[in-house]
Amino acid sequence: MAAVTGEVSWFCCGSAWGPCASTGRGACGTCTSGNFQHAWPNASQACLDITRPHVCGTSLARRTCGFVHYTTNLCNGARVGTSIADCGPQTDLFCGERACCGSSCGTNRIIDLTPAAYSAIASLSTGLRPCSVDTV
Amino acid sequence: MATTMDRRRLLSTAVLGGAGIAGATALGSLAPEAAFAAEPVKIEPGAPDPNFAEGRVTSITGSVVLLAGSDGALHRIQVTNGTSIWKFQPTTFDRLEKGDGMYVRGVRLPDGTLAADSLWANIVNLTAHIASVGRNVLHLDHHGKRLIGHVVPGTTAAVYNGTPAISDVSLLKVGGHVQVIGAWHPDTNEISIATVYAAN
Repeated sequence: MAAVTGEVSWFCCGSAWGPCASTGRGACGTCTSGNFQHAWPNASQACLDITRPHVCGTSLARRTCGFVHYTTNLCNGARVGTSIADCGPQTDLFCGERACCGSSCGTNRIIDLTPAAYSAIASLSTGLRPCSVDTV
Repeated sequence: MATTMDRRRLLSTAVLGGAGIAGATALGSLAPEAAFAAEPVKIEPGAPDPNFAEGRVTSITGSVVLLAGSDGALHRIQVTNGTSIWKFQPTTFDRLEKGDGMYVRGVRLPDGTLAADSLWANIVNLTAHIASVGRNVLHLDHHGKRLIGHVVPGTTAAVYNGTPAISDVSLLKVGGHVQVIGAWHPDTNEISIATVYAAN
């Protein structure tokens, strides 16, 4: 798979505090905020029917629970490897959204990382970063 | 012969040194994005990260924070002069309180203590629908539960479909979909909104 460029955010899952406490273990049943995991918009047909990245012109390969992606923060070059544990983000709700760091930009939400994974490549308070995602 | 010292060893030395905690400040000033790029990530995909912890603060003694992890684990967090602390906005150690929820990234020391590089108190990242809008408040529907999001004039920022952040939240619409970075008010259904990202 060629690297896909887009936006990365983070989400909580598993045992949690506050508003996160109701989020559960994700579509794969394994999601934990402290693990290097992620949500992927095309984790199944049922997932794709919800997230609909194609509506935004983004084509993402079908990758199922446990598949490993590598996400690079285009603001600083930091990279993290994570495995699929949930369905998301809901790309179609933010169609056309663009995040940039200088001239490095990403359009459309293509991946959500757990807090452990996102905080390895960016501050959680940034919330959203341009990224590239690949499989090697 | 040149001697190299990696970040883990430097932090460990700083924390375990006893007199005066230098911690990450010994590394010099790093811009936030540069700090996260400073060290490659070596954790196996899918695995727990030993250099990360989350939970609720049960006590604060000196510069040590004890966290009760949501999974039942207990974490001892060593805060240093160089720890980056966020609680609704970048802040200082004295603003942390018992009961705060917390995510921490740092370096795990041989005794199990996590020497904190970065610490985020009460931070939430939520996707929600706007149910109603009041004066300096958004009523949010988050996974079927109602949350009260407080707009803090002068601090809350709004990003409309990727445009640069502005302080004007008046363009937010009832029924609209948003992502909110904010700070939870512990043991309530209220948050203070740091940044709200609005969809089309």
